[in-house]
Amino acid sequence: MWRLLHVIAIGALVGSAVYVYSVKYQTIYASEQIVKTRHLIAKERDAISVLRAEYAFLTRPDRLQALADKQLEMQPLSLHQIVKAADLPLPVPKIDSIARKIEALGFLGPTATPSPGVTGATPSTR
Amino acid sequence: MTEKSMTSSPAVKGAAAKNINFSWNKLRTLAHDLVRARLDKSGGRIRLLMLGLFVAYAGIAAKLALLGLSHDPPLTLKVAADQAVSGARPDLLDRNGEILATDVKTMSVFAEPRRIIDKDEAVELITAVLPDVDAKELRDRLGSKKGFVWVKRQVTAKEQQEIFHLGLPGVGFLPENKRVYPNGPLGAHVIGFVDKDNVGIAGMEKYLDNQSLTDPHVAGFSVDPANLKPVRLSLDLKVTHALRDELVSGMARFRAKAAAGAIIDVNTGEIVALESLPDFDPNDPPDMTKDPTRINRVNVGVYEMGSTFKALSIAMALDSGKVNLASRVDARDSLRYGRFTIHDFHATHRVLTVPEVFTHSSNIGAARMALMVGVEGHQAFLRKMGQLDRLRTELPESAEPLVPKHWSELNTVTIAFGQGLNVAPIQALMAVAALVNGGNLMTPTFLKRSEEQALAASRRVVSAQTSESMRYLMRANATHGSADKANIPGYYVGGKTGTADKIVHGHYSSDRVLTTFMAIVPADKPKYLFMVLYDDPQSLPEDGGYHTAAYNAGRVTGRLIERVEPLVGVAPAQEFPTQPFPLLARLGFGFDADKVSKE
Repeated sequence: MWRLLHVIAIGALVGSAVYVYSVKYQTIYASEQIVKTRHLIAKERDAISVLRAEYAFLTRPDRLQALADKQLEMQPLSLHQIVKAADLPLPVPKIDSIARKIEALGFLGPTATPSPGVTGATPSTR
Repeated sequence: MTEKSMTSSPAVKGAAAKNINFSWNKLRTLAHDLVRARLDKSGGRIRLLMLGLFVAYAGIAAKLALLGLSHDPPLTLKVAADQAVSGARPDLLDRNGEILATDVKTMSVFAEPRRIIDKDEAVELITAVLPDVDAKELRDRLGSKKGFVWVKRQVTAKEQQEIFHLGLPGVGFLPENKRVYPNGPLGAHVIGFVDKDNVGIAGMEKYLDNQSLTDPHVAGFSVDPANLKPVRLSLDLKVTHALRDELVSGMARFRAKAAAGAIIDVNTGEIVALESLPDFDPNDPPDMTKDPTRINRVNVGVYEMGSTFKALSIAMALDSGKVNLASRVDARDSLRYGRFTIHDFHATHRVLTVPEVFTHSSNIGAARMALMVGVEGHQAFLRKMGQLDRLRTELPESAEPLVPKHWSELNTVTIAFGQGLNVAPIQALMAVAALVNGGNLMTPTFLKRSEEQALAASRRVVSAQTSESMRYLMRANATHGSADKANIPGYYVGGKTGTADKIVHGHYSSDRVLTTFMAIVPADKPKYLFMVLYDDPQSLPEDGGYHTAAYNAGRVTGRLIERVEPLVGVAPAQEFPTQPFPLLARLGFGFDADKVSKE
């Protein structure tokens, strides 16, 4: 009886010790991870600031202007390029110019197509 | 032994009684001896002990006194490094959030001279890797008794690798903040620059330090860069670039000695762009004391502003109520004053209306109007407009205006058309902004601020009606007067030229001039006031040999308006406001600005 109790007590003691130590080491590990992550964040921050500085350097206006002058054929907007909507000419009535041309050529009149019955130089396929 | 005899022979009590008594006495003497005699006998030892303790404490006291007196307390490496490393600074952004100045991390090489074994060898090896380090100077530094010295600040990654591979004991690396200005000379006079330790030396950088936002060494702890909030300036990077670009090309074209320009938001007093040429690259700052040509001419230069000052004289006369826009001023003859005669540059020899005085830039007219107000009124008005006192902005650089010591009527006459009073261009800018924005004088700022904040900090200097009259006059001057070169189609521009003869060997020289141009856009409800200044511009043959403001500063301002207005989101318009000057129209000055007679 007593022996069993002793065994249980010792078991509990060892178990709790193992548990405490595992928690302790997990905590140490976690705090190490936090420190590592902090360092990583700081490093990334520094990298971001370097990249931002680099981006600002590459997009500085005088460089962009030189590139635009060389590569793009653009001009500043000038007043004569701006027109009010009211100043636009009204659309002219639609004219079917093709139909008119066909009419002018006289294609709309009766055609003098020979009837199928008349034999021509080429024999009928049928 | 006595005790033993006492206990071991109880049977012989009587015989031993005497014996016991004797031994008891002996015991007492012995005990007495034991207690007393030690103290008596060992006086010498105690003194020795006292002496020893005294010497020890004296030694400690002496060391304390020595430590207190010495000027160079020995530093631990950590403390020394913390004091030496450049602190973090907040980023400077433009009004749209573009980066003007930022920190990047770089490595710096340091040495602990006490831990270096062979100093000569170390110097030899280091200078082999870093050729730009002076060997002799480095040897001196390593020979010093300090615990911490810099070898080279801000080395490249490759140099760091090479130093590392030397494997020298007592040589190490520390990360430092290096200030970079990605836009080079753009806005350099406003931004300023820092020294090797990241301490602000000029411009807004110095302003930040004066605000003690950044000094990391003051409290002995360094600032966490993550906690630093970026500071927004009022500058617009793109507009600043446009301004600089136009100023540079104009300076080359007119072979001017120097140029300067600024654009101010008249409703908030924010300086949107400011440039002064020749300028510098803040990444590689010059020694300003050795090269005074690179000063900020807008804030630090003082100039006779010439005809631009006529705007102030006319506004003063209008605001005093002594004249109105329909008044006439006699400009038939030159104005004689003592042994001086005031001429007009574009002489008309007739009676001029007030708008004509402005558009013809009549010296005689402006002088007569100032005389109507009188010397005291003139002084009071200029003081109210901030022209007689040093104007302080956020920038540490400022200049005291040169005011005549004895202000006679002659001074009033000449100052009325811009001679005899030297002011910083930013002062004139502030005054003209107040004249056109409805009459509220606000100190120009280089930090972002809202219209409400600006209005709260402003004070009324002229009436709304006077302000509208000034806008009307400037518009008339753009359509029919000397400012026509800046009258860009599509924008409702108003402007005023100013050409001041420079003083050469004590005399006004008509060959050497300082030209200024001020323009407002749009003239009916101004948002921006443009100022361009050229020092000693040369005439071009195609301009008929003129080097007056209209041909150089005026033209550049025109190009600037054409370029900047679309940048700030204003497209050219086909139609102008139908009722640009309602107050004047109600007063019966039914004329339109575009119909002032040209002659």
